[in-house]
Order: sequence, then structure tokens, then C-alpha cells
Amino acid sequence: MVPRSLGVAALVAFAIGAAPLAAQYADPYAAALARLDANSRFAIELVMDSARTVGLSDTTLRSRVLEGVQKHASASRIVESVRRKFAFLRTARTMLGQVSNEELDAASAVLEAGAKPAQLQSFKTRQKGREALEAFTIWADLITRGVPGEEASSAITKLWQDGADDATFHSLWNNVQADISQGLNPGAALQNRIRETPQRTVTPASKPPEGQEIQSSR
Amino acid sequence: MNEPRLAILVAAALLVPAPRELAAQIVSKLEAGQYSVSDGSLPASVLRLAPTFQYQTPYATIKARGSAYLSDQALQLADGIVSGTFTSPTVYGVRAEMIGNASRAMDDRSLGTDQVDVQTRVHLLYHQRAGMWFGGGVARPWRVAVVSSADVTDLGMWAKVGDAARALGVATFTATFTNFSFTKVASVHDSGSASLSCAGLAIAPQADVAPARALFSEAAPGSSACERQSRFGDLEGSVHWDLGMIELTAQTGRRFGDSYDVTADSRRWSAAKATVWLSDRIAIVAGGGRQPALPLRGLPARSYGMAGLELAYWPLAKSSVPVSLPHSPLVRSFEYHAAATGMQRITIRVGGVETVEIMGDFSDWTPLTLVRRGRDQWELSIPVAAGMHQINVRVDGGPWMAPPNMPTMKDSFNGEVGLMVVGAAKS
Repeated sequence: MVPRSLGVAALVAFAIGAAPLAAQYADPYAAALARLDANSRFAIELVMDSARTVGLSDTTLRSRVLEGVQKHASASRIVESVRRKFAFLRTARTMLGQVSNEELDAASAVLEAGAKPAQLQSFKTRQKGREALEAFTIWADLITRGVPGEEASSAITKLWQDGADDATFHSLWNNVQADISQGLNPGAALQNRIRETPQRTVTPASKPPEGQEIQSSR
Repeated sequence: MNEPRLAILVAAALLVPAPRELAAQIVSKLEAGQYSVSDGSLPASVLRLAPTFQYQTPYATIKARGSAYLSDQALQLADGIVSGTFTSPTVYGVRAEMIGNASRAMDDRSLGTDQVDVQTRVHLLYHQRAGMWFGGGVARPWRVAVVSSADVTDLGMWAKVGDAARALGVATFTATFTNFSFTKVASVHDSGSASLSCAGLAIAPQADVAPARALFSEAAPGSSACERQSRFGDLEGSVHWDLGMIELTAQTGRRFGDSYDVTADSRRWSAAKATVWLSDRIAIVAGGGRQPALPLRGLPARSYGMAGLELAYWPLAKSSVPVSLPHSPLVRSFEYHAAATGMQRITIRVGGVETVEIMGDFSDWTPLTLVRRGRDQWELSIPVAAGMHQINVRVDGGPWMAPPNMPTMKDSFNGEVGLMVVGAAKS
């Protein structure tokens, strides 16, 4: 007589074996798309196609699909999110010009957080090799924490124009979030801390070396 | 159950596809201390060494554990076990698990008893705070009074109470019921004088002569009259209390079965253990209690006491292990540092939890399980390209949250993500 436990064991062994097999979809993006209905898939592919047509990388958009599926969002929500992200990427590129995909992604995150497109304008001209990834990250966070958009924008823009480095942005964020967690109003916390941030005058050392041009995407 | 059936189950275990994510790391521990037992199988008090090595990937764990003691200036093996556990991904709170063990116990110095067992379980999880499981399997012992494979079925439930961030820590309560069914050779050790049923067989009076199990085993084919179908069930309850630097474990149990199968000294038992962590890697351990007889392992009931040191070693990855594919109040800190070219080492500190996972755009939003590197430290080295990345963390399969101590923003799906900047300046 076959013991019942053997039957249960065989069944579960099959389940264990089958689960990883099912999970081993060659392309996670294809697997994620397969979980959406045909209309949503079509809508997403349309956005992807548009992105490629205007020369934008579709990596960020694919990632958004994967994120939505992993977080069990509805198909319509995913489609809407992908469309919004595409719009923000396109706007960011319009405002910043030809910057790296990473920076474009970060800038679109700032817009997604609630910044206005025109507020990105100041970041278009920059010293060659300088990246605004940290600045954009802190900016998006400040808005998320409740700092009014205008105040966050002017503070970050001012620091950027003063030539602040990544450490300065990070230090500002650290102080502001500590103040907010102590119960201070987010806007007031930023204003207090931005006043404490050492003013950088543009010294010869912070200017580009002789012969090195200021990178402009114009 | 016969050998082919067992072979089928073992083969089924081997056919389980290798997990795709290879965040494999090795963890080792060594427990060294004084150990005392009451049953006379070991010297009354010995210096005991119990090393453990564990090779762990997100969906599989291979573990080797043993113990040896110093006797007459020589190291004697007491027992050893190699086990493998395969776990399926959790889908809608359901997870499957397959466990295989091969072990040897040297309770009798002249004769080791061996056992191979395979067990499967289905777990139902409730927000990683509580759960239950049911399962079954087979165990095949050798050189003990049990002359058949044993059918093992078990049912258990657990609940976690408390919060690691609070002073009272986390307590995990577990209750299990395990049923064993097998054929054994009646022994004069059995309560109720099972040897009566073997009247006339010369074997019974010799049963007390060591090594008794060898006699039984060899005599079994020719003395079927002495075989009987045995069945007993163990009901056990335990609590594990994690108070930060102190861990307390207490368990108690009761064995159900008729007097032929359960000896009087195995009806009830209880044990306790305390671990005091002096650092992330060194702990003082002390404990004692009573252990019931383990018929499948050929071990008698015994009282024991022990005190010693536990040295835990969670080596830092020398070469980062790439993962090919790919704010909880509990999470105390989150850090990331460049580990090698294109690699980031994620370090999270959170205590009293079973699993810590992260996911983000860098993993195609596939959850990656971190590897425990200390009591409350979890790590993973992963390839992350330069840029700003979104990241979520979750503990014990709970909700995805933004890690603490880092910039965040709202995601598009009613949640929050952490923003991780990886670049030449911030690495």
C-alpha cells in the first residue's frame, strides 16, 4: 500500500519543481507583459515605440512595467504610469537637452515628484563632467517630504549654481530630514538649513581649467 | 515502504531545477563547551565541539552539522547530518518546501546508526507574522530496532509577537504535532513487556545485551513474529524570545502512543537554552533539559546540560557574487558601498526576522534575498550601473517599503521608493 504521505510528498515535490520552471521566463519584461491584457500590452508597446522614435531609451519604461506588475498594480494603472513616465522623460529632455539617460531618468523623477518643467532650465548649462544626479535625487525627496515645490526648486537651483558638490547636497538632505523628523515644518527646515550651507563663491579653482569649455546642451 | 519508493522521492528532489538567482554565501558556526548527559552513552561530562556549515541561496540551503567530543585525548564523532532544503517562491502566501536529510548518530561507539529522510511541506503564511504548515515524508533508518521506512506526517503553526525595535523584542511561538508510523522489532525495552509477544524466541532475553540494535536488526528477517506496527505522535510547543543581545528558547512536549511504543521516560520532556551575544559573532550559550527517545535515530531518552561559547562566522564575500537577474520601522539602517567594479554591496541591519529582500530597477524589480552576515546584519552584492536607482525593501515577506536613511519619493503605485545614487562621486 502506498502511504498517503508518499502521495502528498510527490505532489508537493512536483509543485516545488514546477514553480521555479514557471518562474524561469527568459525575459522578465516579456513575462511581465504576458500578465497584462492585450489592450494594455498594445498601449504599452505603443508608448515604447514612441519613445524609441524620439530617441529615448525605453529601459526606464520597461522598468516601470516590471515594477507595476511586481507590485500587483492594475493593468490600467501600469499603462497610465508608463505614459506619464514617457511624458516626463520627453519634457526632461526638452529642458535639459542631450544629457545621459541616467540624468534624464533622474530629472524625470523630479518632474514626477511635482517640480515644474521650467525649474529644470538652470541645469541645462553646467561644467563639463558635472552631473546633477544627486541634486535631482535630493530635490525629488524634498518635494516628497512636503517642502513646497518653489522653495525646493530655488534651494536646489541656488546650490547647483553655487557649484555645490554631491556631499553638500547630501548633507543638506540629511539635516533637513532630521529637522522634519523632529517635527519642524518641511519648508522652514529647508530654509534654516540652506542658510547654514556655506556659500560658495565661484573661485578660480571651481572654474573649469584653462581650455576646458562649459558643457552646454544648447 | 520499500527502497524504490524512497529512491523515487530522492530522485524527485534532485530533479528540482537549480534556482536562477545565485546569491550563495557560506555561514559557519562552532559551538564549543562542556556537555553532560545522563544516559551513559557519553562520559558524564565532556568537551563538545559542534560545527555547522551552511551554504545558502535564496531558494535552497545545504547544511552540514556535526558534533564530536574529546575523550581520552581523542576526538570522537557523536553525530553528523547533511541536509538540503529547497523552497519554492511564495505565491499568494503559499510556499512549498522539500527537505532531505542524511544523518549518522554514534550513540553507541561501536555502531553508528544511519538515517535518510525526505519530507515535503506546504506552508501557509499570514503576513510573515503567523503561519501554519502540513507535510509528510518518509524516513529510512538503518541499524536500529525499526526495520521499515517510517511514514512521518506533521502539522504545525507559529505566530510572531512583538517588535524587534522595542524593548521586549520578538517572541515566536510554535506548536507542532508529528506522527510516526513504522514497523519495529519488539524490544524488552518496550514498556508493557512487548517481548511477551515474542515468547519462545531466543532473541528476547538477549535484547539487553549491547549492541542490542544489531541483534534486532539481524534477527528481524527471521523473527517476524516479533515485529509490530508502531505509531506514536509528538506534540511540541516552543517559544523563542529574541531580546536583542539575548535569545531564550524553551520547549516542551508530550508523546502519545500505547505503552508498547512509548517508554515511560519519553512521555514528557522539556528543555531550555539561553544565548547571550557578546558581539555579532560570539555568544555564550547555556541550556539543558530532557530529550525523548528517538527510535528512528536509535537514541534513548536522556537528560542533558551544556554551557559554552558559540562562534558564528559570516564571512564577507571575497569576490562579490553577482546576481544574474535580476520603511519598515524594523529596519534600523540601510547602506550601500561599492564592492567591486560595477558592484554594490547592500547592507541592512534588522533584527529578529527571517528574510530580508530588496528589489529595484537594477534587478528588473525581481526580489533578491539578502544573506545573513551577523545576528542582525544582512548583505548582498549586486551589479548596479551608475545612475539614480529606485529601491524597495521588505522584511519577512511584508509590504515593500522605502529603505530608511535615504532619499525617497512616491512611486506610481501608492507606495514609496528609496532613491539610490550610484556614480563616480557617490560609490
